[in-house]
Amino acid sequence: MSLFEYAVLAGLFYGLYFALVGVGLNLIFGVMRIINLAHGDFLMLGAYGAFYIYHLLGWNPLWAIPIELVVFLGLGLPLYYLLVPRLQKSGDPEMLSFILFFGLSQVIEALAVFAFGNDQRSIPTSVFGGAPIHIAGQIYPSSWVVSAAVALIGIVLIYLYLYHTRAGRATRAIMTERSEAVVTGISVHRVSAVAFGIGIASAALAGIFSPFMFGAIEPSMGLGITVTSFVIIVIGSLGNPLGTVLGGILYGEALMLMQTFLTSWSEMFPYVLLILILLVKPSGLLGKAVRSA
Amino acid sequence: MPKTWRSTAVIVAITLLTFVFVPYIYNNQFLLFNMMMYMALALGLNIIYGYTGYLPFGYVGFFGAGAYGGALAITFLHWSPYLAVIVGGGAAVLVGMILIPLFRLSGAYFSIANLAAAEALYYIVANPHLESITQGPYGISLPQVYDPNGAYWTMLFILLFALVLSGFIRGSRFGLALAAIRENPLSASMSGVNVVKLRSISWLLSALVAGLAGATFGWYISVFYPETVFGLGIGVFTIVFVLFGGIGTVLGPIVGTLILYGAYNYIGISTPQYFQLVYGLIIVLLVLFLPNGLVSLAKRRGIDVP
Amino acid sequence: MIRKTLLLMILGVSSLIFSLGAWAAPSVIKIGTLYAGSGNFSQASTRQYAGLQFWADQVNAKGGVYVKAYGKRIPVKLIAYNDQSSTTLAASLYNRLITQDRVHILIADYGSVLTSVAIPLAREHRILLFDETGTSGKFFRPADKNRYIVLTGLPTSSEWPKVLANFMRKLGIQRVAILYAANDWSGSQANTLKSTLKKLGADVVFFESVPDSTSSYSTILHRIAEAKPEAVAEFGYSNNDVAFLQDYASSGLYFPMLFVPNPALHFEVVRKAVGNAAMRYVYSYVAPPLIRYNREVTHGPTLDAFEAAYTKSGGRNIDLSTVAGYNTGLIVQHALAKAAKYTQESMRTAIDAFSGKIFTLDGLFKVNHEGAQIGESLPVGQILPTPSGLKLQAVFPVESAAAKYVYPQPRKP
Repeated sequence: MSLFEYAVLAGLFYGLYFALVGVGLNLIFGVMRIINLAHGDFLMLGAYGAFYIYHLLGWNPLWAIPIELVVFLGLGLPLYYLLVPRLQKSGDPEMLSFILFFGLSQVIEALAVFAFGNDQRSIPTSVFGGAPIHIAGQIYPSSWVVSAAVALIGIVLIYLYLYHTRAGRATRAIMTERSEAVVTGISVHRVSAVAFGIGIASAALAGIFSPFMFGAIEPSMGLGITVTSFVIIVIGSLGNPLGTVLGGILYGEALMLMQTFLTSWSEMFPYVLLILILLVKPSGLLGKAVRSA
Repeated sequence: MPKTWRSTAVIVAITLLTFVFVPYIYNNQFLLFNMMMYMALALGLNIIYGYTGYLPFGYVGFFGAGAYGGALAITFLHWSPYLAVIVGGGAAVLVGMILIPLFRLSGAYFSIANLAAAEALYYIVANPHLESITQGPYGISLPQVYDPNGAYWTMLFILLFALVLSGFIRGSRFGLALAAIRENPLSASMSGVNVVKLRSISWLLSALVAGLAGATFGWYISVFYPETVFGLGIGVFTIVFVLFGGIGTVLGPIVGTLILYGAYNYIGISTPQYFQLVYGLIIVLLVLFLPNGLVSLAKRRGIDVP
Repeated sequence: MIRKTLLLMILGVSSLIFSLGAWAAPSVIKIGTLYAGSGNFSQASTRQYAGLQFWADQVNAKGGVYVKAYGKRIPVKLIAYNDQSSTTLAASLYNRLITQDRVHILIADYGSVLTSVAIPLAREHRILLFDETGTSGKFFRPADKNRYIVLTGLPTSSEWPKVLANFMRKLGIQRVAILYAANDWSGSQANTLKSTLKKLGADVVFFESVPDSTSSYSTILHRIAEAKPEAVAEFGYSNNDVAFLQDYASSGLYFPMLFVPNPALHFEVVRKAVGNAAMRYVYSYVAPPLIRYNREVTHGPTLDAFEAAYTKSGGRNIDLSTVAGYNTGLIVQHALAKAAKYTQESMRTAIDAFSGKIFTLDGLFKVNHEGAQIGESLPVGQILPTPSGLKLQAVFPVESAAAKYVYPQPRKP
């Protein structure tokens, strides 16, 4: 029984972290209808940022949080104006974004190889105090607890932004009905650019903890993370940040329980779960019902 | 003979001549094989995406199913590779049938669910518990049927089949009905189009093309691991080629593949150290400056693209 | 008059034959290979390629390699393409090397996955494939009767854990847990360890595979602990090993013995990733450059000399991949120096003839009829603290031991 309890709580920590991994992708898709295939690559850049802050400057990787939030927000805004308005002039921006961001992901990965090399890197887990943390009679790696806590804070902040600020309300208006939002005088590009920046910055924030959650980081880690992120945000419903939290936790629980009881099928199960959920709820757990043809 | 069919016949003839005669002056047969393979995959993807608007991110799942279906027929039934290729196509159609319920989903949900299905299939095939059937992670080895020329001509045949199929769909009532579904499924069904049936048929045809191509690919390389035939890269490339070439046409996927896959190989040879960077940049620039695909270039000049 | 004409004709023909002979000697020897500039295999592949490049530069500085068939030195030209760790791309590039660049020597990329697609191509075109690190047993099945492959580096992966099994039994370990990532390389090691341990009378109390992409081991470690093993062996690629060691270090769990394979392949990379604390007392294989072959070497530089020259030329720290790449160059060099004719078959015959007789910085070079390496077995090593920092040192078998093992490993403070 204790193994089951261990897996459930581990799944919660792991899932919360993955909610942070996915939330930025969901925001960008919800607001701009863009399939950001480079999402995992921004996460990878965030991971290397933390790595160098730790190894070159000798600082605790937590210092990477404020630094990277500023840097990636600052990166996201010009990147938005460079790419997205042009994209939206085309006939089918949603599908075209697939190619554009595939290209961008290739460019980022190639530059990362030049800048960081091909070696796998990581940060020793002992930076958060070596001792594991006791919770409910179980022992968990301190890095997991810290990562989950930061993830939770990050998601709550995004939630507060979306539901309790003027810009956030405008963002949600664009998500629900873009054309109406334009009519009501919302400056779509400015609001979208901020959402784009937040989306990328949240990926980088998740990246800071990826050395602990994934063991090692390397320039080619992006695509796999992007795929996992899509699974999570689709489980919870596209365009719904709360759904992403639910999706993340379900993903974490599914993975950890399978690792405990049917190890060799563990990575397969979340995908099967996704299909099953969608067959019952075609637009995700928190999605509105849609007509099916 | 309708105009579309005539132009399809021309495209088929040019493709046939090209891949029959180019090997005499350019002897990297495998590159030509890959080119045909991606063209066939692009056409196959176009059957479902271009004509119905459903984009399967996990299209590579059919390719992998075909490769494994064919390999199992060779390993366990000792069938000739030509028959095995048909078995591979059948395996993909079978997977396609299992996935038909996914059409309840719309847009991105369909795409991601299909991706999940392909990944799940990959993890099933690669699972060591199934070693006695699929060889699990240890991969497939088929030296007994190795025959690159046989596989080359088979792939050419599959490509021509995909071309004729695409031309037929575009020029027929079937294609018109599909186009109606793409524009508005509800009104299409009101006007008497059997939406579910037509969509399922094009889905299975699309799976069939990928399965045939996968089985032939497995036969050509004859040694492969699960990640070789289920690699997401194959699916992403195919989608990129179709979108770049222009969806819903016969010529678009062919030309898109020719240019982008050609450029890919050219860069790989000329600047191997900056391979990924240059290719990525080219794609970004093409999207930004040619956002509606190559076909739009022709359409803007009033040329109707078959 | 007739005699003079005849003489002229003979002179003419013989000079023609002579000049043909000179013409037939190529001006350069084209060596084709692939490397992964990005993707999953790039870490090891780029190092392996750097080792091979270093060899090519070295021989060219001396005017080239000696080719017995022509009785002279000929410069080598390395033609290398970037396959980005993609097998599909690799197959097409191997084909290009063979059919368009018409290389005389074909060298595979790193590891079994990227080597696999080259095997049927090489065989079809009757060109000998120098396989550097593709150690899958299925490349060397006698039933396939393939003579166009030679494994230049380590033995096939299913041979690796045999010494480890013996070592575990010598320590009196009865309960062993084995966890492996679902790929050819890891799975064949896990299966060998399991069967050998059973033969030796030990109990395999946990035997599970995880998917290749597994990056979190905390839950699985707790499950392993339930089985109460005395030793845990985890087989995976280096990203799996790093995640496993990280998660073990932060789990609060304790196993008397922990074995992972990758420190043997890239010790510094793994050490930098997980930190010293998580590496201490972990067991691994030991391979060059961690075993330092110096006295024994009969061909090429000693390991010390190679390392000095390589780092002096601006190379990174060396690991097994670097040595494997350089060693492949040495084997190619020796094959050309011994082959009576400048043909693939003659090279293969020459390799059989010197197999078992040459010792390089990578160890004894000995291949069987199928081309698989059988010259070396991999000793077991342990990562031990020394005055000059952590070192992976051979501890078993006794004749190769450089240090005394510490078992059970001390609990972390």
